[in-house]
Amino acid sequence: MDERLKKALDFSNYMVTLNNQKRVLEEKYNQELLYYHNGSQFTVTRELINFCYTLLSTGNTEVVLVDDNKLPVQVIDLEEFHSNVLDVYFTASNSYYNEFVELKQKRTVEKLVDANE
Amino acid sequence: MSKGVIVFARNNSNIDYVKQAFYLAKKVKQHLGLPTSIITDNVDYLKKTYNENVFDKIIEIDYDHKKNLRNFFDGALSSKSDNFKNSSRSSAYDLTPYDETLLLDSDFIISNDLFLNCFRSNHDLLLYKDSYDLSGTRNTKEFEFISDSGCEFYWATCVFFRKNETNKMFFNLIKHIQEEWHHYRRVYQIQSLLFRNDFAFSIAIHILNGFKKGNFAAQMPGKLTYITDQDILWNIDKEKMLFLVAKKDYIGEYHAISTKNLNVHVMNKFSLSRVIDKELVNEQ
Repeated sequence: MDERLKKALDFSNYMVTLNNQKRVLEEKYNQELLYYHNGSQFTVTRELINFCYTLLSTGNTEVVLVDDNKLPVQVIDLEEFHSNVLDVYFTASNSYYNEFVELKQKRTVEKLVDANE
Repeated sequence: MSKGVIVFARNNSNIDYVKQAFYLAKKVKQHLGLPTSIITDNVDYLKKTYNENVFDKIIEIDYDHKKNLRNFFDGALSSKSDNFKNSSRSSAYDLTPYDETLLLDSDFIISNDLFLNCFRSNHDLLLYKDSYDLSGTRNTKEFEFISDSGCEFYWATCVFFRKNETNKMFFNLIKHIQEEWHHYRRVYQIQSLLFRNDFAFSIAIHILNGFKKGNFAAQMPGKLTYITDQDILWNIDKEKMLFLVAKKDYIGEYHAISTKNLNVHVMNKFSLSRVIDKELVNEQ
């Protein structure tokens, strides 16, 4: 095989694997963004964080939010809720960032998938 | 309120579901700290071959002689036809020893504590509707709707339920759908003759939602991550898994994908069996 083509195909294979691993990391991140409050599931988004912050800024301490199953949930202590969702967001995002940086530094397919065999 | 996991394991001549259940029970204990009960028609084999203490309870069911043949693939190039004994899942409600039950397929690998959230949920019935194909290249329409004109697809792979009258009715309805499978198959225009629990659960949810979309069943946490039986599980190292997923349009060629701390439904039972064997040897 032409050396130029071989190099291109090797790189293509590397890129496919890199993109697959990025997708897996993103999926894991989405799972880590889940927060449970009083039996209801919330996916922590920047919108949710900002909405809670706006409510707190305007003097609200209680609120009814709609959870991931489209059902209303009463949040009695909004400040605690806000603090918890922020914590979930930071923990998940930092973990995502660290793993992403680690992934980007791997230059071979074997290293990308941590194959020891 | 008692809490636990149940798993059905009914061996055929090629696949040792009891071994998968044994491995699952160990993973459940490690990550969720919950007891697992096995429901099986191979009790003698289980007691002779594996350490039965891994299980909380061993629940025996009758051996099923009915033929329900399907192809089990081992990667894209190899397959075997064998009996698919999937008829007892509708009895999960009657058989579970727990008030709050997580029903799992034996070919599910637990690598985190995500499922503990089910027991914190307000909802008494949780199933996966959304799923995530690790390959990222396949058409996933078959896991979105049960047929071209049918209702939404729900996975019977992981089901959380609490004992109450509504869930009793739900499981009784599934039994009825199973008994009248060919009628419901035609009504929902499912082409395959094979009975599938995913379809029966989806149809029951559709009926109980008033024959439309609704929230009779809430979503399990996150999405169900899976590989199909055309892919291969290559290795498990603690919470890390290495897969070979089939390349699109290149039969027999694979891409490597690894996951860490992610639960995965491994439909290739042969490769799962090989990896479990390796794991069990390493433990000794």
